[in-house]
Parts: sequence; C-alpha cells; structure tokens
Amino acid sequence: MSIVACLKWVSHPGEPHDERFSGMSPADQSALEFALRQAEQLGRDVTAITVGPSGADKVLRDALACGATHAIRIDAPTTAAGADVATAIASHIAGAEWVWCGDYSLDRGAGSVPAFIAAHLLAEQALGVIAAELHDGSVHATRRLDGGRRELLEVHAPAVVSVEGATARLRRAGLHSLRTANNASIDVVPATTPMHRAEFMVRPYRPRARELAAPPGDSPLDRLRVLTDAATSSAARGEKVTLAPADAAERIMRALRDWGYLTP
Amino acid sequence: MSDSTISFQERMATAEFRVHHDAHIVVDGKVCADCSTRECVVACPASLFVPTSDGGIVFNYEQCFECGTCYIVCNREGAISWHYPEGGHGVVFRRT
Amino acid sequence: MSQPDVDVVVVGGGPAGSCAAIVAARAGLSVVLLERGPFPGSKNMYGGVVYPRILDELIPNWWEEAPIQRWVTRRSTMMLTDTQALTVDFRSEAWGKPPYNGATAFRPDWDHWLAGYAEAAGAQLLTDTTVVGLIRDAKGAVVGVRTDRPDGDLTARVVIACDGVNSFLAKEAGLYEHADAKHFTLGVKETLSLPKEVIDERFAVRDRHGVDIEILGGTGKVNGGGFLYTGLDTLAVGVVLKLPKLAAQQQRPEQLVAGLKAHPAIAPLVQGAELKEYSAHLIPEAGLTMMPKMTTSGMLVAGDAAALCLAAGIWLEGVNFAMASGMYAGEAAVEAVHAGDVSENGLRGYQRRLSDTFVLKDHRKLRRAPELVLSDRVQHLYPGMIANVAERMFHVDNPHPKPGVRRILAQERKKAGVRRRDLLRDGWTGFRSFG
Repeated sequence: MSIVACLKWVSHPGEPHDERFSGMSPADQSALEFALRQAEQLGRDVTAITVGPSGADKVLRDALACGATHAIRIDAPTTAAGADVATAIASHIAGAEWVWCGDYSLDRGAGSVPAFIAAHLLAEQALGVIAAELHDGSVHATRRLDGGRRELLEVHAPAVVSVEGATARLRRAGLHSLRTANNASIDVVPATTPMHRAEFMVRPYRPRARELAAPPGDSPLDRLRVLTDAATSSAARGEKVTLAPADAAERIMRALRDWGYLTP
Repeated sequence: MSDSTISFQERMATAEFRVHHDAHIVVDGKVCADCSTRECVVACPASLFVPTSDGGIVFNYEQCFECGTCYIVCNREGAISWHYPEGGHGVVFRRT
Repeated sequence: MSQPDVDVVVVGGGPAGSCAAIVAARAGLSVVLLERGPFPGSKNMYGGVVYPRILDELIPNWWEEAPIQRWVTRRSTMMLTDTQALTVDFRSEAWGKPPYNGATAFRPDWDHWLAGYAEAAGAQLLTDTTVVGLIRDAKGAVVGVRTDRPDGDLTARVVIACDGVNSFLAKEAGLYEHADAKHFTLGVKETLSLPKEVIDERFAVRDRHGVDIEILGGTGKVNGGGFLYTGLDTLAVGVVLKLPKLAAQQQRPEQLVAGLKAHPAIAPLVQGAELKEYSAHLIPEAGLTMMPKMTTSGMLVAGDAAALCLAAGIWLEGVNFAMASGMYAGEAAVEAVHAGDVSENGLRGYQRRLSDTFVLKDHRKLRRAPELVLSDRVQHLYPGMIANVAERMFHVDNPHPKPGVRRILAQERKKAGVRRRDLLRDGWTGFRSFG
C-alpha cells in the first residue's frame, strides 16, 4: 500500500440531500489523478480509501474504474469529525509512502484531514497545493500564499499531499474497466477508532474586536492614511525574518495575537 | 424572481450545466455569412446564437439544453454541427 | 462471430430504455443500460404528466412507490384569445384513488426511479457514457455501439436505441429520412414554486390531487399550445411551439411563455410564483408522418427515438408510449436472442406488438390530429370564433332578445373569415380522429 488516494463522498452544494447529485469533489478527482500518475511512474498500485456509509462506495467504484487497484471503505456516518476520519484512515494505511487528498471537502471542509493524517503517519506534508510535479522519490508542490506569493515545497516519502480542484483533470474511465468496477468487491471495514459527530461553526469566522490607539497625524487625512496603510508599498508592510522553525512558529503566533486573530 | 422581468442570464442560471472543455456545437461561419433568416438566433431556447455587427454569428455551447432545435431549424446544410457533449457533462435537469 | 460482450445493450436510460432493460434482464439476458447523463432522467424534460397504466404489467402497484408530484383529478382544456378564455373542465375522484390515471411528476425523479427497477432486475446501468455510433458487421447488421469512453466499444446481440428525439443511432442506421423541422415542436417550460396551500386554493384541489390544463391559443402568432400543471409545491407552465413558425415569426420562446403567463386567465394562477428552473426539449410532433422504420438487423428503436409521441391536442402523451414501446422492444429482443435469430426477421415481434397495441393503434387513429391541431385555422381562427360565440350566448344584451345560436354561429364564422367548406372539412377530420 504505497500510494493512497483519500476520497470523500460529498453531496452537491445545491442538493445536499440528494444522492443523485453526490460524488467525488473536483479536488478529490485531482488527488486521484495524481495518485494514478505517480503509480504509473513508480510502478506501484493505488489504494482508494474513504470513510462513509454504503453510498460512498460510489466514489470507490469510480476510482477503481479509473485505475485504482484496491478500495477500502471505513464504515462510518458522513457526519464524523475530521480528526476522527484522519485517525481511522491512518490506522488503515500504515506504511503508506504517498497519500493524496483533496484540499478540503465541498460540504463543510476545513482541510484538516490531510494534516491530521500526516501527523499520524509522521509524514511530510504539502497541503492545499495548486500545482504538483512528480519526480523520482519526491514531489515538488506549489502553495499559494498571501499577496500573490508562492511557496515551493519539495516533499519526500512518506508524505501527504493535498491538492486543489483543477490541478489535474481526472482521466476518463474506460468502458470495460467501468463495467468491472461496478461489480468489483470493496473492502468494507468497521471503524475501530472513535467517531464523533463533527461540531462546526455555522457563522463566518470574524476576528474579535480590539482596542486601537488613535493613529498619529495632525489632520484627519493624515490619520486616515496611517490607518489604511494606503500609501505604503506592500513589501514594506511585511517583515522578513530567518528563524529556526520553532522560533518562526512562535513569531507567527505572536503576530497573530498582535493583530487580534488569536486571543492572547 | 417572481415575474417576467428577470434577465435572461438569471433565467439560465436556474438550470445546472456541467460544462465540458470542448464545444459540442460548431458553427461554420462561412456558411452562415450570407444567411438572412437566422432561425437559430430566434429559436434556440437558451439563446446561444448571437448575431454580430459584422454579419457573423457568435455561438456559445456552455448553457445548452441539448435539445437539437438549432440544427433541425437551420436551413443551411453544414452550418451547424452538433453532437451530444461527453458523457456526464452538459445540462442536468432537476424539476422538469 | 466471436461472443458479444452482452446479449442486449440499451442506449438511453429514459422510460423506453429502462422498460426494455427491465424486460430483457428479467428474462435472464445480460443487459447493459447506457445513460449519457450523470443519472437517468438528468437530460429529460417534458410537459409534466405521465400515464403509467402500462406499468401494471411490469411493476404491480407501481403507484405505491412511484415518485409522483400529484395525481391528476382535474383536466381542463382551455381555448384562449387575447381577452377571452373558454374552458372545458372535468374532474373525477376516481383518478385520485388506486389504480389512478395520470400523475404529474418530474422526469429526473421518474426516470431515475424506473431505472432502479432495471438495475434490480440485473441490468448494468452505466451513466456518464455517451454513445457516439453503431458497430456494424460486414453485412451492415448492427452488432454493438461505440461509446465516448476509452476502450469504449460494446458488442451485443441486440441494440435497443432509446436515445431520444434526436436519435443519432436511428439516423445512422438509415431508419429516418432527413429530419424536417416541420415535424418537430419545441417545448419550453418554467418550473415555478408556490406554497402547496396556495396551489391547493388556486386550483381547488386537496391533498395529492392536481390539475392538468392544456391550452389552445396563447402562443400568439406561433402555432402551438400551452400547458399548466400542478406539482406538489410547484407549477409547470410552458408552451409547445411549431419550429418553422417560431423561426419565421421572430419571437423568442421565453417571450411566448411570458405572454402566456400574462394572459388574464393564467396570470392569477401563477402570480407571485418564483422561477425555479427553465428548461427546453424537442418533441417529435408529427406522429405517423415522421415515424422511422423501427427494426433493422440487430437493432430496435423505441420511445421518442421512434417518434412515438402522441401530440393530438387534447391528448398529449409520450412517456406511456415510450414505456410500452421499450417493453415490447425488450420482449422482441428476448424472443430473438432465445431463437438465435437477431436479424430483422428475427426481431419482427417488435413491429407486431406495436401494431397490435395502443402504441400504433392510437397513432393510426389520430394520424391527422397533429396537423389539424397545429393548422392555421385551428390555431388562429377557431379559438376567436368559438370564444365570440360563447361570449354572445352568455352576454345579456337587454332590451334585445336572445339571438339563436345558429345565427350567432353563422355570423361569427363570417366575421372570422372561416369558409364553411373548411369548417366542415376540419370538423370531419376532427370527428374521424377524435370520434
């Protein structure tokens, strides 16, 4: 089980209760395509895995039709929390070298499952990538950062890569592999790890209000300029630091606290 | 959207279209160039055929109901070639 | 010939295709049902009423599970002029009880439901798969279909083409002559939402009972007709338009729907309703006149693909013809496969079944009806003439005494510019068709 595609059976945002409109999200389709390409390149098999009820077999059959060789469904309700989903998946794919996921699921995703899986597998991670290049033994991934910047990552096995939709177009399943996949057996395993119901926010996230001292400046216009940062170039607003990972993480946390995004 | 004053764009937005990257309608502009009747422009229920000021026709394929009206109503042999979009793509009806 | 992949491949997961697949799979044949949409019904649209009596044979007590909106217990036929409306209204409580008669339903629901029976019978449903052509042997017999998937050829003993009104397969097989625009109408419809209680009140129905209104006139200068059906909490309002007239009159389909909705007899019924879905589809309107040859070696054609749609004014039916023809195609395929003869002769049981049942009997009986209903006189002269007669009969014009009906009729006929000869001829055609 060296290459794994983690797929979620999701409903259509416009028809949340209608199975006719359910299936694999574009992001998961991209993940599956990368897994299949990598498998061809490295001469390996692809295992498609999902956590969900029996309806979720649909995405596994689609994956089998496209070229995945094994399919596992961990039987659980669709409402399971992301951390529990990741734990369940990780417990079934121990030893996986490459794990491909969609960046986040369409229905209520926060994109946390790939990160949790990476933590369980002690794997490297490149999450929410907008481009991925497959190399022998590594993947070069591009992530989107604020302000039009890009982060270039090189990850080595074992690694988890989660990709945005439209990063790769899923190949079209052949007619006869589709017929075979329709009758293929799917390993259905019970969830042996706990499955809690996901608690998720139903309102948009809003940073808490904080007190600000009046900006310096004699005229209202001056103060407005300081307040809106209007005249400064974006490069000057940033701060470039070179720090050890732990210190860098602490610096980011401090900045987030200063800006009011985290409670002190 | 409770009356007939909604725009055509709003009207078309009520239907779902899973657009494929390849067009399934192709119009041969050379054949259309001297067509004065332009049945497709009037009859297409999705209004996919739009006359241009220079006498040509611009066509879209994205919001196509796949009804076939355009090629059947067209008087010019070979002007419109039309086939179904790739499986799984195109219009998806719900309450029809 | 090497062993084909399957016994029967059915192209199209609509009512015809699903019924063909049910019959063939239940008889023990291996069946693949191909659907180009993401699920059966996703490409399908119609006015809104289905008459499922024929399903009694395939799915006993189908009404207990069928995904219907409302049972039609009230049928109105309406004749409109710009300012008048004459309605014949009929209701029957019997139609609101088992075994029922007609029902309003959405095709994405109905077709998906019916395809479920094909799968349950053992047919393999493959969605998202468009058939792009036929595979034929050296002698020209159909031996399979080519799909748009990689490795996409599928060979079969019998191909049943239920690929809809555009039937590229029937055309490829040479069963159709050139498609003529005058044989088609365009159906355009708006699905509108209204609360159930409001619909119940406006249309004077209760529970799951609903209304079917067929409309003559109301489409301006474009020959055609209109319809208004009640869903549970939706209305389907739309027009059916003769293609050449639509193009010639330079009137857009959605404007004609808007015109119908604005008519004083219709506007109060649809007032305040919100547009949920706009849709359109072609209708093979010309009946017997346009029907293709339905059998060729290795292939049968059913449903809209065979132009089996009855558009005869007061009778607007299609899904029942599709289900029946699909069923008979399935039976003929089973016969032929068991007999080991899938040639045109081996498949002749199909044509026989169509001829012996309502499928072709209704069409033969009503062969002149579509042309009559869409003729200029029926469309543009008679509604005004008849409405004026009604208006003068019921208009109290004291102190003048009531005029005789015969005199009114004669006067209104002259005023409308209808020649007596034409009226008699149309009346006779109508009497022979409908009588």
